[in-house]
Amino acid sequence: MTPVVVSRNEKERVLIEPSINSLRVSIAIKQADDIERILCHKFMRFLMMRADNFIILRRKPVEGYNISFLITNFHTEQMYKHKLVDFVIHFMEEIDKEISEMKLAVNARARECALEYLKRF
Amino acid sequence: MSKNTSSSEFRQLDVDQYNEDNFREEDGEVTLPAGIDEDTVINLLNKGEEQEALRLLLANAPSASKGCNEQAKDLALSLVMKVLLNKSINKTKMDEIIGQLDQSLLDVLMKYIYRGFENPSEGSSALLLQWHEKVFNVAGIGCIVRVLSDRKRV
Repeated sequence: MTPVVVSRNEKERVLIEPSINSLRVSIAIKQADDIERILCHKFMRFLMMRADNFIILRRKPVEGYNISFLITNFHTEQMYKHKLVDFVIHFMEEIDKEISEMKLAVNARARECALEYLKRF
Repeated sequence: MSKNTSSSEFRQLDVDQYNEDNFREEDGEVTLPAGIDEDTVINLLNKGEEQEALRLLLANAPSASKGCNEQAKDLALSLVMKVLLNKSINKTKMDEIIGQLDQSLLDVLMKYIYRGFENPSEGSSALLLQWHEKVFNVAGIGCIVRVLSDRKRV
């Protein structure tokens, strides 16, 4: 069936590829600078290494995107459909916040380290 | 005696060609009809008749299955985007325009909105999201499902 893209801007977009019995959702996450890019890469790697535990998560994202979910008919039989939808939406809402929070934490830590280090001089 | 070879050349054969009931896409060339080109659309936009321009484009949308008529489709897409992303269309005007389109044209409009998302330009996505919301309010979920399942794409 027709794949569909929903985008907020060039960087942030979601690709939805439906088929008869499954659906692949791929998400490209906003990466404004290098720190965000590294954080996003590491975080996605962390999640995808544990893809078995997330059930609907794929181990490799679609090219051009940061993370992919594949929801098949077996998943919708095993799990509540509305909860699956909620999960994907919740993930998209939280991931931006999570990454900017991590970025702040990294920056704060760097500042603290620099302060301590420069105290000696 | 049968010979056991490791040849795998037979795998290159397209066995489907020997079937009698092959599925074929039946669509010929569909192009934008004469008289609908950039000038007409820009003229209508200059006159402030976005409604008419959009209706003209949607009613004559060159829809065909994937890989068919890409040129005509791209041209039509660029014209539709010109109308949709027009600065003079505010929120109330959007409602007005959408209210006057009927169901089948709304489906086509929705297809164009989703195609517009594929190549976002500066600020286009925000506007398209507004259009999407308004079309969704009128045409409902069925409209989106028809975009997903229709073989004829714009």
